[in-house]
Amino acid sequence: MSAPEDTVPEDGVTRDDPMIAAEWALGLLEGEELLAARGKYTTDPAFAWRKEWWDDWFAPLTDAMPGAEPSGHVWVGIAARLAAQQADVAAPASDAPASNVVALEARVRRWQWVAGLSSAAAAVALAWLALAPDSTVQAPPTQIAAAAPMVATVPIGETGLRLDVTYIPESEKMLVAAIGLTADGVHDHELWLVPADGSDVQSLGVVAPGTVRAMTLPAAVTAKLGDGAGLVLTREPIGGKPDGVDAGPVVAKGAFTRV
Amino acid sequence: MVRLAQGDQSALEEIYRATRVKLFGICLRILGDRKEAEDALQDVYINLWQRADRYDPARASPIAWLAAFARNRAIDRLRTGKVRGGAVPVEEAAPLADETPLADMLLVDAQQAAQIHKCLGALDDRTQGHIRAAFFEGKTYAQLAEAADVPLGTMKSWIRRGLQRLRACLEASEAA
Repeated sequence: MSAPEDTVPEDGVTRDDPMIAAEWALGLLEGEELLAARGKYTTDPAFAWRKEWWDDWFAPLTDAMPGAEPSGHVWVGIAARLAAQQADVAAPASDAPASNVVALEARVRRWQWVAGLSSAAAAVALAWLALAPDSTVQAPPTQIAAAAPMVATVPIGETGLRLDVTYIPESEKMLVAAIGLTADGVHDHELWLVPADGSDVQSLGVVAPGTVRAMTLPAAVTAKLGDGAGLVLTREPIGGKPDGVDAGPVVAKGAFTRV
Repeated sequence: MVRLAQGDQSALEEIYRATRVKLFGICLRILGDRKEAEDALQDVYINLWQRADRYDPARASPIAWLAAFARNRAIDRLRTGKVRGGAVPVEEAAPLADETPLADMLLVDAQQAAQIHKCLGALDDRTQGHIRAAFFEGKTYAQLAEAADVPLGTMKSWIRRGLQRLRACLEASEAA
C-alpha cells in the first residue's frame, strides 16, 4: 500500500512495443508517452499494425456503450466545413495546370518521406526542407501558399537554444525539434497553441528534450493552426500541466509563419 | 467506405445518418459533456472525409473501424484539451433505439465480440474491472491507481499483466 512505486516488482512483464500499443489503444497513455506513441505510429509500421490490431479487438466493447442522438447542428457544422474545404481546393485548381497538383503531391510525399526517417536524419532533412531553395518544384505562388510548410521558432531566453516547430498543412503532421535542450529531471515543458482567432489555448503536449519528434495532430488542433497562430512554452511538473490547475510560467514564445 | 475514399460527400452523409447515434454515444461516454462530445463527433466525420483512404476493408468491419476511430478521437480530446472529463452517468446517456435502415451494419462482428468478451472474462475480476474502466471511462493509469488507492506502479503492473494475458488469449483464437 505505502510502498514507493519503484519497489513494486514488474512481475516479469516487459514493456515492449506491443505492450505500449495496447496501453495506447486502451487510452492509458498521456503526456510525453502519448506523444512518443503517436510519433512511433507514423514511423514504425509494426507498431502501427499492433495498435490497429488492438483497436480492432477492443472495438466490439463499444457495443456496450449506449447510443445517443447528437443535436442537428452537428451535421450542419460538418457540411459547412466540407464546403469550405472544397472551396479552398477548387479555387486554385480551377486555373492551375495539372502539373501543380503533381507538385503538391510531391510536396506531401516528400513530407511523408521526411517523417519516415529516424530522428537524427529527420533533423537534417527538415533543415533541407525548410531552408533549401526549392529548385525541383516550380509551382505558382498560390500553390505554394496552399502547400507550404508552416514553421515557428521558439527561442529559449538568452540561451541561444530554441525549439523548431514545423507543420505541413495537408499532412496533419507536426515536427517538434528540441535539439540541444536537456531535461532537468524536475520539470517538463509543455507546448501550447495560441490560435490567432482568440479561441482557447490548446495543449500540443510535453516537449521531449534533445529529440526531433513527429506527431499527428487531432483535427481540433489543426483547425486552429494558421498564419499568426502563436506558440508558448510553459514550465510544468513532470508529465505536463496537471488537471485543474493553471499552467506554469511561460518560458518562451513564438508564432507560425509560412515558409 | 470505398465511395467515401473517392470523395463522395453524399456517402459521408449516408454514413453519418447510419452511425451518428453509436459514435455520439461513444464520444459522450468518454468525454462526459454534450458540447465536447458534439465537437468530437464533428472532428470524427471531418477526419473520416479527409482520411477514408486509411480504412482497410481487409482488416475490420467499417463500424468496428469507425467505433475505434471515434473513441480514439474522443480520448485524444480528453488528453489534449485536458477536458474535465470522465464518464457520463448512465442515466444521462439515455439509450436510444437506432431506427436507421443500416442497423445491421452497426453490429460489430459477433464472433469477434464473443471472443474479446471471453478473453476479458478469463482475467481476474480486479484486472478486468480496471481494463474496462480504462476503456469505457477513458481513465489513465494515475486515475485508476488513485481510485483503487494503490501505488501507480502496482496499477501499471496489474494492467500490463492483464494486457499480456489478453493478447495471448486473442492470438490463440486467431491461430485456431
